[in-house]
Amino acid sequence: MLGKKTIKGRIGFALAIVLLVSFSLLPFAQILSTSLKHQYDWGNPSLIPQSINLDAYKELLGVTEPEQVEIPAAIQKILNNPKLSEDKKQAIAAKYTANDNLFPFGKYMLNSVIFSVGAASFSLVFSVMGAYSISRLRFKGQVVIQRSVLFVYMVGGVLLMVPLYQMAMNVGLASSLWGSAFCLFLIYIVQTLPVGMYMLGNYFRGIPFALEEAAMMDGCSRKEAIIKVVLPLSLPMLATVFIYCFIIGWNEYLFASVFLKQYPEFHTLPLALQELFVSKNAIWDRIMAASMLTLAPIVICFLFASRFMKGGKTDGGVKG
Amino acid sequence: MTPLERAEARFGWKLVAPTIVILGLLILYPLMYNVYLSFFDVQLNGSKIFVGLENYIKLLSNTDYYSAIATTSLYLFGTVVGTTLLGLAMALLLRDPFMGRGLVNAAIMLPYVAPVISVVFGWQFLFDPISGVVNYLFVDLLGLWSERSNLIGDPDSALWVVVLFDIWKHAPIAYLLILSKLVSISRDQYEAAAIDGYGPIGRFFHVTLPELYFVLATVVLLRLIWNLNRFEDVYLLAPNVETLPIFTYYQAFTGVIDQGLAAATSVIQLGVLSIFIWFYIKKIMKW
Amino acid sequence: MKINRFSIGLVAASLPFSSLVNATTVEYWTTQTQSDRLQTIEIMADVFEALNPGIDVKVIAVDENDMPKQIAAAAAADTLPDMIEVGSDLSLAFAEEGIVDAKSSTELIQALGKDRFYAGALKLVESAALNEYVSVPYSGWVQGIWYRADWFKEAGLAPPTTWEAIEAAAKYFYKPSENQYGILVGTKADNYAEQCYTQFALSNDAGQFNSDGELIFNSSAQKEVLDFYTNLAQYNPPGPQSWRARDYYLQGKLAMFFYSSYILDDIALAEAAASSLSSENFKDLKGAAFDPDLAKNTRLATTITNKSPSSFGTLVGFTMMKNDNKEEVQATKAFIQYMNEKDQVVAYSHMAVGGHLPMLRDIAETDEFLNDPKGIFAQYGKESIKEIVAGFDSIKNFSVVDGKTFPKSGEIFAKQIIPRMIYRAAIEKEPTQTALDWAEKQMQTVITE
Repeated sequence: MLGKKTIKGRIGFALAIVLLVSFSLLPFAQILSTSLKHQYDWGNPSLIPQSINLDAYKELLGVTEPEQVEIPAAIQKILNNPKLSEDKKQAIAAKYTANDNLFPFGKYMLNSVIFSVGAASFSLVFSVMGAYSISRLRFKGQVVIQRSVLFVYMVGGVLLMVPLYQMAMNVGLASSLWGSAFCLFLIYIVQTLPVGMYMLGNYFRGIPFALEEAAMMDGCSRKEAIIKVVLPLSLPMLATVFIYCFIIGWNEYLFASVFLKQYPEFHTLPLALQELFVSKNAIWDRIMAASMLTLAPIVICFLFASRFMKGGKTDGGVKG
Repeated sequence: MTPLERAEARFGWKLVAPTIVILGLLILYPLMYNVYLSFFDVQLNGSKIFVGLENYIKLLSNTDYYSAIATTSLYLFGTVVGTTLLGLAMALLLRDPFMGRGLVNAAIMLPYVAPVISVVFGWQFLFDPISGVVNYLFVDLLGLWSERSNLIGDPDSALWVVVLFDIWKHAPIAYLLILSKLVSISRDQYEAAAIDGYGPIGRFFHVTLPELYFVLATVVLLRLIWNLNRFEDVYLLAPNVETLPIFTYYQAFTGVIDQGLAAATSVIQLGVLSIFIWFYIKKIMKW
Repeated sequence: MKINRFSIGLVAASLPFSSLVNATTVEYWTTQTQSDRLQTIEIMADVFEALNPGIDVKVIAVDENDMPKQIAAAAAADTLPDMIEVGSDLSLAFAEEGIVDAKSSTELIQALGKDRFYAGALKLVESAALNEYVSVPYSGWVQGIWYRADWFKEAGLAPPTTWEAIEAAAKYFYKPSENQYGILVGTKADNYAEQCYTQFALSNDAGQFNSDGELIFNSSAQKEVLDFYTNLAQYNPPGPQSWRARDYYLQGKLAMFFYSSYILDDIALAEAAASSLSSENFKDLKGAAFDPDLAKNTRLATTITNKSPSSFGTLVGFTMMKNDNKEEVQATKAFIQYMNEKDQVVAYSHMAVGGHLPMLRDIAETDEFLNDPKGIFAQYGKESIKEIVAGFDSIKNFSVVDGKTFPKSGEIFAKQIIPRMIYRAAIEKEPTQTALDWAEKQMQTVITE
């Protein structure tokens, strides 16, 4: 805009764009770069690795060659215990050579997917119902509900961590694995539901009533009208809301750490990554590769959803 | 009320009931329960002893609490100003279509959607005193700093790294909000201002800024609301920066655990947050 | 295991829990978070399970810095594990809280043969109050200063075994403009800082308690230590630092660093990475200085002398937690006995060569132990390894004075008072006396609690 027609203006403009994009992408470049570097290369400030090291990715994705791990003599001796049956011996030795539990990335990823996709699905269903109700039906109390949702939407998780933990403790859920997982699942629904309702409410308000009325004239019930008319019209928005809720769950760390820290088999990716970072297994290339892989699904989702996020469609309803 | 209206109301309640139950049980009730807890000495296992106002007294006589308030204020100030200004700059820069705008848009939105956990490691590495690019750039290449420093290790400078991180991550949101208003300003207004003899800068102050006043206020309020409770971005990048949420987390789950005290800090924080939200609802939503 | 568990079991009855119903489960928390080590432990547990049908051993890795917190949480929720593998300080602290089954540990030590253990090791886990052992010593490591012998030689400096030599070398090699640093001592408020500090304190005869059990932490000798330590910290890489900065040593940017005998592994790791590179790649290395001879040029100085020589190590043992379930107690005891058989001890030692020195003298002197798979012990010479291990006959730490143990010292450790004191003095530049006064006040609170 400011004098873009002159050469100077153009160069300035291009420079500003380059700066802006570099600022946005530099940390990503760093992550990618370090994930591909050998250890001796970490101290080198250049972002381009001296030689490419894919070991971390191979290890995380479990595509390392079924390397012949030699059983150390000491362990072989334990296995040679005469009281041990041959089958057992084989089974245990196989486990050692399987080498798949270095950092069970796949398992953490699956946990993350279950929590975030599951919570997002529930959230989407409830928010469709709720948003339809508060945006298109008239009843007493509707306004109060609508405003409460906005309020609730803006209350951050930090304010809830102590009471929610205590509540879970009181009903005895916090001290078992499944109970803790269940709590976390509920919390993810709660964290995403107001967002979904808020976004969908705004969207539903924009759909002309006439369309629904026409369907009802044709003999549809209200429910049918919702399913046949409103939902198909809202498909892109439904997808956006779903992805949005998914991203929130996928990225969540605080409650996962409060509820699941002591249950490593249920760790989600953010929690597992942080635990990896503080453990002595923390080798930079492994951490960075795991970060890249945690990032990847989000980037894909985002590219898919980005066309809906442009141009203020989200209307301040964006969390964060 | 006609039967039809009554049916509609019944249907409405039915649809919204699950949401009310869930949100009531897991947000509104905990918020109230939190107030209750703040009057007790609460153990991690759930046992409670009534202590009256003791938690509040303990809190208000704790110097660490005040330093957490100071840190939070600085954090809020830095992030709100930074995010708004950068968002505005981005919106002005990217207002008019140009080749590759879609790509640029995607690039600048990436920090916002990326999981905090996976980008903090990149940031930590960038600021590493020995191997990081930032020190290399400012000490070896540009010579702006006389010696290498551990910006994230030192809590005072880490605060500003955390602020920068938040700006990096959330300026895209401010950008989106501002841009949507910016593109709706009509050309006529600019032309009229140009006829009145205003240059580009004058036009910015006489046309753009007044039009953006409202949306900028929205951005500022939203940043305040979200950042008051910001936890992960700070804790995962620099756990030594004790803003209020981190202070509360340490009280509640680490070291000498004192969940009653943590509840008390949350109550006070909720009070402040409610003021922001009230402003937002009154002034922005105009209810 | 406990009532609580049972009720939860009812709640979760619909879930597939059947596999656990009939087995006695031994829940075992280990601080070995490194996955290859965890795997070795799991193998040993698997073999034990195979030999003892009906017993399940559940191995859970917990970060050592998290251990006090996690145990506190588990104690509160009544979900304590059956046994934990922790340092002697923590064992004593947990015993003080009354959540440790010292009787079983003592019985186990008797059963294994009291004379087989290094005397100093047993002293570190003896609770005078209970007149019992709170833990079964299992492995240990010694700490020392790892240094670039080649650099020292070139500069004509004496090995870092005295305060003067350490300071002189740290100062000499501190060249921040070349991105090179003199030494790494812990300045971040975590356990690593306490470990580095303790060795200096003990070499200056500056303890926490006197033999009458009075707190004597805030002494002039202690101030000397903190002054020296704070001074030394200025030759550190910038800002608060912890063990993670060992990376800089591997990159050739650090002359000395404190580390336990554990690092043997890491240096080997760097070598392995290097061997995968052709010499051509090395020519291109500009910013990165990798020295293929790093391991060869590295030496360890385990003793620091000022007023008296001190070596510092940590003893890790199996600590049994209080448990009402007799079957589980028996199963746990059987498992610990099994772990103390020679094959298991050797396997455990070899998973971190130098980091897990055995506490049973007869095993530590066998060739099976001394012939580690990477041949690292052989490089040092078997005799010197035996000497290092034998150091556990006279190992020192803050919690033992003249043969008396002070469990409160373990609690002080758990509250990380010394690390926070170091942080205040070294990073926040608080006057050392002020930091000492603060630490003393904190310690008083712990003692009077």
